[in-house]
Amino acid sequence: MKHLVLTTTVVLAVTAMASGCAPTMSVSSHVDRNLDFAQYRTFDWGPADALPTGDPRLDQDPFFKDHVQGAVERGLAGRGMELTSAGSPDLLIHYHANITERIDVNKADRVYGYCQGADCPPESIWYEAGTLVLDFMDAHTNKLIWRGWAQKSVEDMLRDKDKMADTIDRAVSEMLRQLPPR
Amino acid sequence: MSSRLTRSAAAIVVGASLGLAAGCAASMNVNSFIERGVELREYRTYSWGPADTGSTGDPRLDNNRFFDERVRAQVEKELARHGFEKTAAREPDVLVHYHTNVSQEIDVREFDNSESYCADHDCRPFIYDKGTLLIDLIEPDTTKVLWRGWAEGSFDGMIDNQTWMESRIDEAVARILARLPDRL
Repeated sequence: MKHLVLTTTVVLAVTAMASGCAPTMSVSSHVDRNLDFAQYRTFDWGPADALPTGDPRLDQDPFFKDHVQGAVERGLAGRGMELTSAGSPDLLIHYHANITERIDVNKADRVYGYCQGADCPPESIWYEAGTLVLDFMDAHTNKLIWRGWAQKSVEDMLRDKDKMADTIDRAVSEMLRQLPPR
Repeated sequence: MSSRLTRSAAAIVVGASLGLAAGCAASMNVNSFIERGVELREYRTYSWGPADTGSTGDPRLDNNRFFDERVRAQVEKELARHGFEKTAAREPDVLVHYHTNVSQEIDVREFDNSESYCADHDCRPFIYDKGTLLIDLIEPDTTKVLWRGWAEGSFDGMIDNQTWMESRIDEAVARILARLPDRL
């Protein structure tokens, strides 16, 4: 167990380093460790809370909304959980999508002359970092019991619906893989 | 014995990777100030003031129950150690409030470069997420900040690991509140 924790930490640390410059997706989660997730069988979409802040480019994009909800519903169905729109669900789920401008360290290197030629990516040093946060609330206590998130540079997908669909599918399936076993 | 060895080896590796992840900024800067003329020993009871409603700057951290509950539990533990007593009474001596902020920072190592402490690749600027945790003790009537303590450090990778995040919270809160003036 100790080794597992250690390995995870090292991997995460290395990932954190790499993500400073790479458009790879980083996925992680927080969980209420004192809960038995087997008790949650049904879910419904709940109202989003005021924070985390969303981004109108995504929140008001019906394609984005449909695709995220579809991906989550499929993923949870695959885990034996059932969407219920009538009655009282065990879980209320909501998500937030956020886009922040961030600076890319490798590109900054190029601008400041710290890297040369093939080492330097050709684009501008700013990029759009997208975060998709998925919240699971216990419908009875109204407490957050699990939160997953995925982060990735989203410039490409904002202009390309196919890429957006692929990115959402990957983000959601990797997030849901982090759920505790039922 | 071997388990202890494994554990210390683990600690070293974890420590090293913390350093790596933080881009050399694994350390935590902790500071505080006290309002002039305030004698904190005159204040004994506290309760939590209203929580922040704004964004922390990081959507993963906004409304994050796991972060919030850990901070509060740790603050309560440390305040008790410093002789403060949590009260449900209507008029506590102080209100406690905490605030979290995350922002991207660029360290261009200007000093290293100008003093030639580094060469070539070592001098590359690095970019990291700076996290700040700030704890205020507030006088309820005047809403004046009596005492403020804060910790700043790299946030990179921390939130992605719940256990690591919890230990960083514990460390930050303990070190911040260790700066409270002695009550004896």
